[in-house]
Amino acid sequence: MSAASAAPGPLPEAAYRRMTIVLRVGLGVALAILGGGLVAYLGTHPDATSAQALASNPILGYLGLSGLAAGLAAGSLEAYLTLGLLALLVTPILRVVTGIYFFRAHGERAMSAITLAVLALLLLALLVVGPLIR
Amino acid sequence: MDLGLFVLLLLVTGGIAGLVGSLTGLGGGVIVIPILVVLFGVDFPTAAGAGLMTILATSSTTGAAYLRERLTDLRIGMFLEIATVPGAIVGSVATVFLAHANLDDALLIALGLVLFAIVPGSISRRGEELPSGVVPDARSQRLGLEGRYHDSALGRDVDYRAAQTDPALGVMFGAGVVSGMFGIGGGVFKVLALERFLRLPMKVATATSNFMIGVTAAAGAGVLLAAGYVNPLVAAPVAIGTAAGAYLGSRILPDLANRTVRLVFLPVLVLLAIEVILRGLGLP
Repeated sequence: MSAASAAPGPLPEAAYRRMTIVLRVGLGVALAILGGGLVAYLGTHPDATSAQALASNPILGYLGLSGLAAGLAAGSLEAYLTLGLLALLVTPILRVVTGIYFFRAHGERAMSAITLAVLALLLLALLVVGPLIR
Repeated sequence: MDLGLFVLLLLVTGGIAGLVGSLTGLGGGVIVIPILVVLFGVDFPTAAGAGLMTILATSSTTGAAYLRERLTDLRIGMFLEIATVPGAIVGSVATVFLAHANLDDALLIALGLVLFAIVPGSISRRGEELPSGVVPDARSQRLGLEGRYHDSALGRDVDYRAAQTDPALGVMFGAGVVSGMFGIGGGVFKVLALERFLRLPMKVATATSNFMIGVTAAAGAGVLLAAGYVNPLVAAPVAIGTAAGAYLGSRILPDLANRTVRLVFLPVLVLLAIEVILRGLGLP
């Protein structure tokens, strides 16, 4: 296989191991926060109904970073749930960051540039496009 | 409805979606979205936001197994994300604008049509187990879009190379739009592009699609979360249920016949698609 000599070859084992750790930790943290937050929310709002939940979005005030930090400091459950959703969202983004690291370490300039562009687009979605259409 | 019961029913819905999704490879979104809209009365962008959160949970739950078997091609997946991520941003923005313009009915009809489009691809996968005579294009060679995995069923290592990256990028952009717009993973479309155009072996296509679905969903979910269309009291229980269901499906019941599950599940999907379209048309 002549192309194989020019090809970069498989990524190191460490890339797969690191990504597995990122997935496990990210998902575990997200589910623990969401599960705990949900139980606490039901415990403190025993008379809430689905209609109230659907009519209002209880996290809207905690979407900015400053609002989230203030909400967490004040012990707000809504801020806590927002943090859990963010953890779920950040997990694949961290996979992309891990990819950039390993493509660079592997000397693959084109792939690390592509992966960096994917990361930039993901951050654009979360930090620019979403807030703009709020 | 009492909020506790509502949350419990959402957990169960997520559990079923995660279980069926991981057993059939359909992903949980196609089950969760129509159920949220039809049975729970969730408005469209909020349902899409919850759907994308469940997809993030499924992809992260099942992704570790694919990584362990070295079936996920990180290079090919990352390369194609350059098309799916912009697609997802366009799709999620479109959903918000259409909902603002009171065009929810049009979104419902479009969702129903997308569900119907997914059905044939779910019944039979015509991908090749081990494609032969694949000619990689120039871009594929330049980026090294090729790899090797150990096929335990065949008992040997299998080499593969990616072909036709141009049409694959086009299909991936479309898959991203569908994902961001309707809150589904769009795995059927991704696998189609990976198998038909790049001509990857089925196992690599499935694993790489799973990886890509998570990154694509992060783009759409990022837009919808930051725009305030993710309701945690809807998204959190569905996501937890989906993760539990996907874990059960991938770890405890991997031997349950895929075909049986599909035959049971597909009529349900068709009924949901019909119901969603009828809602969109304003019929009871």
